[in-house]
Amino acid sequence: MSVLDLRTVNPLVKVLGPIPVMIYVVTTRDVLTPALVGLLAFALLALLGHQRPRVLAAVALGTVALVAVMTVSFGLLTDPATVDDTTPLARVGPLEVWSGALATGLATAVRTAALLLLVLLGGLTTSGADLVRAMTQQLRLPYRVGYAALAALRFVPRFSHELEVVRGAHRVRGVTAGRGPVGAVQRQAGYVVPLLAGGIRHAERFSLAMEARGFGAHPTRTERVVVPFGARDLVLLAVLWAGAAACVLLAASV
Amino acid sequence: MTHPLLDVRGLRVRHHVPHDDGGHTLGAPAPDAVDLAVAPGEVVLLLGPSGCGKSTLALATNGLVPHVLPAEVTGTVTTAGRDVATTRTPELAGDVAMVFQDPDAQVVTGSVLDEVCFAPENLCRPADEVLARAETALRQVGLWERRGDDPAVLSGGGRQRLAIACALAAGARMLVLDEPTANLDPAGVEEVYAVLRSVVGAGDRGVLLVEHDLDVAAAFADRVVVLDGAGRPAADGPAREVLTGQAERLAALGVWLPTATLAGLRLRAAGVGIDPLPLTPDELATGLERLDTAGRLPAPATAVHPTAAAPEPARDTVLAVDHLTVRRGGRTVLDDVSLAVGRGELLAVVGANGAGKSTLAQLATGVLRPRRRDVAGTVRVAGLDPRRADVRDLTAAVGFVFQNPEHQFVTGRVDDELAVGLRARGLPADEVADRVDQVLDRLGLTALRDRHPFWLSGGQKRRLSVGTALVCRPEVLVLDEPTYGQDRERAVELLDLLTALHDDGTTVVVVSHDMQLVAEHATRVVALADGRVVADGRPDVVLGRPDLLAAAGLRPPPLARATRGLRDPAWRAVTRLADLPLTPALAEVGR
Repeated sequence: MSVLDLRTVNPLVKVLGPIPVMIYVVTTRDVLTPALVGLLAFALLALLGHQRPRVLAAVALGTVALVAVMTVSFGLLTDPATVDDTTPLARVGPLEVWSGALATGLATAVRTAALLLLVLLGGLTTSGADLVRAMTQQLRLPYRVGYAALAALRFVPRFSHELEVVRGAHRVRGVTAGRGPVGAVQRQAGYVVPLLAGGIRHAERFSLAMEARGFGAHPTRTERVVVPFGARDLVLLAVLWAGAAACVLLAASV
Repeated sequence: MTHPLLDVRGLRVRHHVPHDDGGHTLGAPAPDAVDLAVAPGEVVLLLGPSGCGKSTLALATNGLVPHVLPAEVTGTVTTAGRDVATTRTPELAGDVAMVFQDPDAQVVTGSVLDEVCFAPENLCRPADEVLARAETALRQVGLWERRGDDPAVLSGGGRQRLAIACALAAGARMLVLDEPTANLDPAGVEEVYAVLRSVVGAGDRGVLLVEHDLDVAAAFADRVVVLDGAGRPAADGPAREVLTGQAERLAALGVWLPTATLAGLRLRAAGVGIDPLPLTPDELATGLERLDTAGRLPAPATAVHPTAAAPEPARDTVLAVDHLTVRRGGRTVLDDVSLAVGRGELLAVVGANGAGKSTLAQLATGVLRPRRRDVAGTVRVAGLDPRRADVRDLTAAVGFVFQNPEHQFVTGRVDDELAVGLRARGLPADEVADRVDQVLDRLGLTALRDRHPFWLSGGQKRRLSVGTALVCRPEVLVLDEPTYGQDRERAVELLDLLTALHDDGTTVVVVSHDMQLVAEHATRVVALADGRVVADGRPDVVLGRPDLLAAAGLRPPPLARATRGLRDPAWRAVTRLADLPLTPALAEVGR
């Protein structure tokens, strides 16, 4: 574990630290500020995140693709009347593409990408269990709430498997609730009862198992894994905020 | 005098039956006036027919009944000197630990180590002590090397061993296990009992075991407590004394006996005195050998083996699987499987958990329709491709009965549930009504026809799920682990129904890892291991190959284990209770 490993940084810093930066990014209108912030977030993730190259490549390519798609679609959808002082670039059937529209689209896309990268900074380097630990240890969240949330997450794969089986069951039973959106809604409604019944039963068994293992015996429980909040975490927080401020100043000076 | 770890006196539980208006009435008492004590080092086996309150009693030992599951409780439950009625369940976690039936529903955390630490952490033990306890417990169940793994990737047997490790780490000296092996394949059952033996061997812990599979459990138990159908105490004493001394009485109560004991009773009824009555396959083997040496062992009744009369496979193929390979999530689930099921066969597909049995069944019936590129090879059922066939044609060709009956219920009434497939096929209303009435009658569900399927009992749900497939008169009926999570009584009831259907000419394919049930009913057995077919043939042939079965994570059924060492080849082929000699007169005729 290196000192410069984002994975060992307190989850609160990684998850809550970027929030002021995100709020600022939302208020920007230019392209450069969010672009610089996004680059900073990606640089931190790449240098300190210890992610596998495949993950980093996926993040980078995904972000670029997102920006491209959003720029074009916003560019097409923006009302030309609001940007008629700019240059028309192309005409596709009834749609006109203006340079001003593309610029607005690009700014929106880059803002979204920056927000996404700031979320991924914490998201890719934090496990759910560590976040819950930090929230119970530093934010004094009652442990029952935290562990209940974690337990709920563990239900998700089970539910998706059950849904697949129930879907197959309805299909081979010859349940054809009609076509189109109405039929689709009827079909989905038909899955609710078996899934709910299974879910309630599973949850009941699960809660019996938890109580039998002493969950809730005392107001606190031993935290075997202590998630420290130390100088290193403060330094990272400072780096993040200072970096974001530097991005803003840099963008303003250009 | 040693203090009992668990002391139950005059326990009587009536569950709250909730009403729509928020009130409740009380159910029938079960258990009713039961005394039970467990001393250190003792294993007490609790038996009784379904509905007698075995699980309720187990849940009352740490106060889950009535503190979490509301009920009216009279009598006292004392554990480690504490009155359960006045102590909250979590506070008892250090005294009583529980292992439940469903391995999935008791995994709380994301790693094996965290899982074992969970209880001592809740009990506020210091962190270094938590780790020390976790290591000791994981080493004892053989999972220390896998401490970093997600519990979900362990086998069923592995997850139950993990649950036992959790119980040990909590520091509880009283272990309560409610059908811990009901969902496991034979190799998993062996693993769990090996661990339990080592846990009890130390002598300071006590075990209360609710279990229906007595072939392994009977030899493990010191004492047996039996409840009758109404939940009242019916017998209490040393395991061997109760199980063999009162065998006929227990069988009459609806309590399942070890296969070896059943075999002994059958031999006695045929005039072949086997004394003492055996509890385990090994004891049965010894008894049979002694009879053989004395020249008193009659020929088995193998002449009436149904496989002799079974049709030649593939003479008239209804289900054909040809070089089928299936990948899911980067893993090969089925690997070049070829199989032809002839009309009139009762085929059992056996294999360990995860061997690909269910995938094969779901593919053959169109439940699973993987993407084209994940499948190689073909499946044909009654000439149709289940991936592409119209649902209305498919229901007439093949019926599928799901592992969990609730998954397949699509309507709000029992009779509608049976009618839905027929209506989809556009049959006239009077014919639909006729067929539904017939099936209701056959399954004994006529009185329940206006109920919601979800409100039926477990056994009734199972019968209805078979009925939904049956009513379409499919050429093949496929059942996925129909006995999974069911008690022995219901399992036998279901298998008898299947045998009756088979006798009427329906082709039946049943996926299972219950080897004795397979041995008793199947005309052909296909064994899968890691997605490959490793054996295919008559049950007495396949089940007589312990090496092959072991490689597939399976074990020969108890009776086959007892007979395989005998001199007479006819006896070595005995795998079913029905193969045992009949009445003395008939046995003479058979010679």
